[in-house]
Amino acid sequence: MNYLLYLDPGLGMMIAQAAIAAIAGFVLFYKKVITTVKAWIGLKKQQKDSSFDSNYEQDSESK
Amino acid sequence: MLRHPSSYRDPSGFVYREKGAFYRQINPVYFEEYHTAKNAGIYQKLFDKKWLIPHKEISVDEEKIIILPEQLDFISYPYEWSFSQYKHAAQLTLRIQIFLLENNFSLKDASAFNIAFHKGKAVFIDTLSIEQYKENAPWRALKQFNEHFFGPLLLAQKYGGQYLKTLQHSINGMALSEVKRQLPFTSRFHPTIYSHIHLLSKSDTKESSEKTESKEARLSKSSQIKMLLALEQHINTMTSKENTEWSSYYDQINYQEESFQAKKKLVKEWCAAIEARKIIDLGGNDGTFAKELLDQADQIMVSDIDQPAIDQCYLNQLKSKENKLLPIVCDLMQPSPAIGFHHKERDSFTSRVIDFQADVTMALALIHHITLTGNVPFEMSAAYFAKLTPYLIIEFPDREDSWVKFILDSKRDARHLFDDYTISAFAKAYQKKFKLLKSEKIEGTERTLFLFERYEG
Repeated sequence: MNYLLYLDPGLGMMIAQAAIAAIAGFVLFYKKVITTVKAWIGLKKQQKDSSFDSNYEQDSESK
Repeated sequence: MLRHPSSYRDPSGFVYREKGAFYRQINPVYFEEYHTAKNAGIYQKLFDKKWLIPHKEISVDEEKIIILPEQLDFISYPYEWSFSQYKHAAQLTLRIQIFLLENNFSLKDASAFNIAFHKGKAVFIDTLSIEQYKENAPWRALKQFNEHFFGPLLLAQKYGGQYLKTLQHSINGMALSEVKRQLPFTSRFHPTIYSHIHLLSKSDTKESSEKTESKEARLSKSSQIKMLLALEQHINTMTSKENTEWSSYYDQINYQEESFQAKKKLVKEWCAAIEARKIIDLGGNDGTFAKELLDQADQIMVSDIDQPAIDQCYLNQLKSKENKLLPIVCDLMQPSPAIGFHHKERDSFTSRVIDFQADVTMALALIHHITLTGNVPFEMSAAYFAKLTPYLIIEFPDREDSWVKFILDSKRDARHLFDDYTISAFAKAYQKKFKLLKSEKIEGTERTLFLFERYEG
């Protein structure tokens, strides 16, 4: 399957992904806790108009 | 049939042009991947989300499969995107990868050149980048993603829009060690930035000294999705200081509302008179004038040197649900060159504009910048505009205009070098390349609007 590996990712970086994923797991957990706490004390985060999702949502509505 | 010179990296297939249309040939080596993705409904699901450029299968035989993708009107490159465009392109890449993982597929590369702006939105154009996911395999395109997207975005956020042009001089993205060097020391304490930039740049250098070939990297799918989600969430919150502080140019203009309306009316009338459907607005700022022409045109390219203005143009269009504007960041004094191997991978801005085959170029409130700030003689700017489109609508602010006065005053001792900056010298020089169709002074201003038609041949 070597022909598919036209992009050399570097093995070191592949191994590092396990560490990155572990950190990401922590970040996501931390953010979830913060959001829950904020929601609990009545602070709600508002989605901005220019967010990525709103761009594509508009489309599905108009479809 | 000629392979497009940018389409040589991936052996799965290539793009070629025939009778003006772009097709994609799929080689036998990718047949299995293509059929698996197709049968799993991956392409269709991505079309429905409007994340992938739709394609039709044209022919299938043992040697090749030919698909015809929906044609792009104009391709802009990452170094011509504004901050929000760049950010959305990055988010789209990550969203697609997360979606693919959930469906047991994966992206084999994450080049920023795989994204184009079509009908106002970012869309993924490299159909053959999709492959089957291998159990517990890490994402091999992560480093490329960070070099193409995350690195330049972080630096643009910190230091300004010039870093969005990174891929113009580093076509394979910015080395993470270089990104790391330019980020402040405190960036190490940010978990997402630390892991994607600092940690990955280390793994890069370590690898060259150590042979780690015997090891096999493993990462569970759910961990990979978490990693990408955290990265996507970080990018989602990124903002550019220069963009949020950008105050509207039209609050600072030097003429009255009536004159502004008069200018709009003239431009609309003239565009209608020459039946312009495709329009190029050079120095178009945030698209204020282009927007006036939306109901009478099919497509309007808005280019400007000012990244925050183009960003505003892009965001306004997203909000208004319009899709006719093509916002592009471009400095006319140094438009994007042709880059890559043999100068043929990515075309220059000018040759793409010529291929776009627009009807008219608008150069409103631009000539004084080119002539006085850029020192470009009238003959040279006329020759450039004449290359682009058959018609030209150009605004000439005379020496009494406050902007022109300001620029001339700033020339101090060299002021006399610009004594030729007069309306008669301008008209004379431009009439060597163009036939003058109309000219009209905009009431209440020191500005005159000209409509020219170029001499053919």
